[in-house]
Amino acid sequence: MADKMDIDAANGDKEEEKVGPAPNLPAERIITNNFNLINQAVDSFDARFTLRALRSIATIRKATDFPEALAFGIRTAFPKPQNNARQVLEEMLPEDVRSGGAQQNGGGEANGAAVKEQDVVEIAEVWVYLGLLVQVSDAQYWVYLFDHQEYQRGADFSSNFVDKIRSFNRRTMDPIGAKAYFYYALFHENLAPLPPSEQSPVIEIRPVLMAALRSAVIRKDDETQAAVTVLLLRNYISTADITQADLLIAQTQFPASAANNQVCRYLYYLGRIRAIQLAYTEAHANLESATRKSPTAGPAVGFYQQATKLLIVVELLMGDIPERSTFRQPSLEAALHPYFKLVQAVRVGDLQAFLKCVHAYEQQFRSDGTYTLILRLRQNVIKTGVRMLSLSYSRISLRDICTRLHISSEESAEYITAKAIRDGVIEATLDHTHGHLITTPARDTYSTTEPSEAFHARIEALLGMRDECVMAMRYPMNKHRQEIAEAAKARERERELAKEIIEGDADADDGDEGGFEGM
Amino acid sequence: MAEHEIKQIISQLEKPHNLHQAPKLLSKAKLGLLHLHALVPSANTSPQHILLATTVLEHGALLSIRLKDTEAFTRYYQQLQPFYSLPHERWHRAGKPRNQSKVTGLYLLLLLSVGDYAGFHTVLEGLEMSSGKEHIEKDELIQYPVRLEQALMEGSYDKVWGETKGERVPSEEFAVFSEVLIKTIRSEIASCSERAYPSLQISNAKNLLFLDSEGAVIQFAQARGWVAKDGRIYFPQQEAEMLAAGKDVMSSSNTVIENTLGYARKLETIV
Repeated sequence: MADKMDIDAANGDKEEEKVGPAPNLPAERIITNNFNLINQAVDSFDARFTLRALRSIATIRKATDFPEALAFGIRTAFPKPQNNARQVLEEMLPEDVRSGGAQQNGGGEANGAAVKEQDVVEIAEVWVYLGLLVQVSDAQYWVYLFDHQEYQRGADFSSNFVDKIRSFNRRTMDPIGAKAYFYYALFHENLAPLPPSEQSPVIEIRPVLMAALRSAVIRKDDETQAAVTVLLLRNYISTADITQADLLIAQTQFPASAANNQVCRYLYYLGRIRAIQLAYTEAHANLESATRKSPTAGPAVGFYQQATKLLIVVELLMGDIPERSTFRQPSLEAALHPYFKLVQAVRVGDLQAFLKCVHAYEQQFRSDGTYTLILRLRQNVIKTGVRMLSLSYSRISLRDICTRLHISSEESAEYITAKAIRDGVIEATLDHTHGHLITTPARDTYSTTEPSEAFHARIEALLGMRDECVMAMRYPMNKHRQEIAEAAKARERERELAKEIIEGDADADDGDEGGFEGM
Repeated sequence: MAEHEIKQIISQLEKPHNLHQAPKLLSKAKLGLLHLHALVPSANTSPQHILLATTVLEHGALLSIRLKDTEAFTRYYQQLQPFYSLPHERWHRAGKPRNQSKVTGLYLLLLLSVGDYAGFHTVLEGLEMSSGKEHIEKDELIQYPVRLEQALMEGSYDKVWGETKGERVPSEEFAVFSEVLIKTIRSEIASCSERAYPSLQISNAKNLLFLDSEGAVIQFAQARGWVAKDGRIYFPQQEAEMLAAGKDVMSSSNTVIENTLGYARKLETIV
């Protein structure tokens, strides 16, 4: 048992070395390596190998000879050209790749014979993996060719592909299936007419995604369930069907064991929906978790930027000013510049500067989807202005408030301050006869329970994080059985050793060697 | 044949005197639409039928506002939604729906008067997505509720008061909501005044609350439980709050003990 474990460990290391320096390998080798990974995943029923294979998709995409490599991969997996599965895949590749690869076919046939027996068993996963790559290659065509025909073909292929995946009921295929749904939704998002038009094809894919969600839940397929829920939410938000999205969240449970990036996305969409529904505290909690869990460097930094933008707007809507340190992070500095200006205007309580800033960066805010939320900030600017004045002056006349905050009339100023007092923004009283706002002297906050409540909230959050970490720790399956076997073996050996010692003692009674033992 | 009936009913509805017979006429019209399979738009409904259906439903919506039947109005609005979300191509031969902005504006106003700000913003977001901001900004019927909401949120109730008076109201249906709105803002101002002023002269209260006479002020004050003496109104709630704050320190010690015990327990589990 111990030996087998060592070999596995060594194998694992070798796998690491093979996949590690992947950028240097040609795309074809990566694809064939991934076949091995997928086979291993099916054998050991461990999802980590499939995840590793999927992770290499990003590197393969950038390879310049991606279509050729893909064709080569298809041919290696399915050596017989008459194979139905292979034909379906090859149809989607461009013409020149298909014919150009014909010469390679001769070389392929030689090792084809050896490969044939092996992958008859694992064909399903490998086929699905290759289908995924074909979708990726089609998705890439809109970078190379800007041709709408490719979207349509991609969308059609995806629809058939997704139907076939649903008919498979194999747990080892779950991660690949989840990715396939992702590309399915991506294709339909890019078909004309684009969302948020009401006629967009994304509306047509909703029933399909719903059906997929149902089967995923029945089969206890966490990966697909998480991925499809996120896709549905994205779908609803893109056409502004917030009530439907809200209903979906209320009726379904998000699997707790989903992958981290799906959890991030889910929290982000949830935060968006809550922000639109004016539940700012909830939205803030969700978005904060999303930003904490998201990757902050590398190609995925765009998500971090978007989530932070939304977080800043929600913080402003709650009446808090985001910290300046958020804006100084190197990956965020450029993207958050308009928001920095916005925060400055709100912080001072200057309505004119706020309106100017909103007008200047309108396009940017619209494309971020935060424009409508920012418009709601108008009353926050006024509240902050009132708070500033109340803090700085112990007594200020309403006329002065009018001038400072650029409010149209004294009556408005009176009503606004009264409302601010009622909402707890400031602690003051109004003197109607003289037209003054009088601030009550500040209470000593340390004599109340506020500090302990703040501490309590933070401690709870950290303890919760620790619990999550402990629960998320992963142990290899069946390791404990091997440990038991090991322990049993060790005990056996000890017993034999003890027996030998006893026998050795018995033998040593005759002979002079006993003397040497004493030394 | 059914079309002809419906057209007749529409012309009858447009006459201003038939307010009480309107529900009956509307049910007949809806039956006619069902015969034409036009009550819910499908892929093969012709543009004329769509236009007919929309006109009938819009009239129904506006009439239910005049009759102050908010439930019926909400129902008509929901029924109109699938028609409004059809693309322009389905309409082009028959013309656009005439009262779309009006009905939408009225629905927004209804949400405001009930206090459902979340619903208000959700509908507004949907509108912006489908029609685009420029279209909405020029549309007075939709800008009216938007302006009202802004003023309400800010707290400048005099602006709200000004908007609901006379000339600023876009059309008579909106005036129906004015009463409800004024009641809402009056109670808002009252609760603000309770916290903000130690006491208030009755004449000032009259101006603040937009009431017509001092008698009305006294009535209002009594209804809200305020004490009216010597021409001034005293707001009693504040002292009660101060007492309540004093008790907090005792009850909060309970919370502190609970929290600390919780920390101790969790710390024990940390290896």
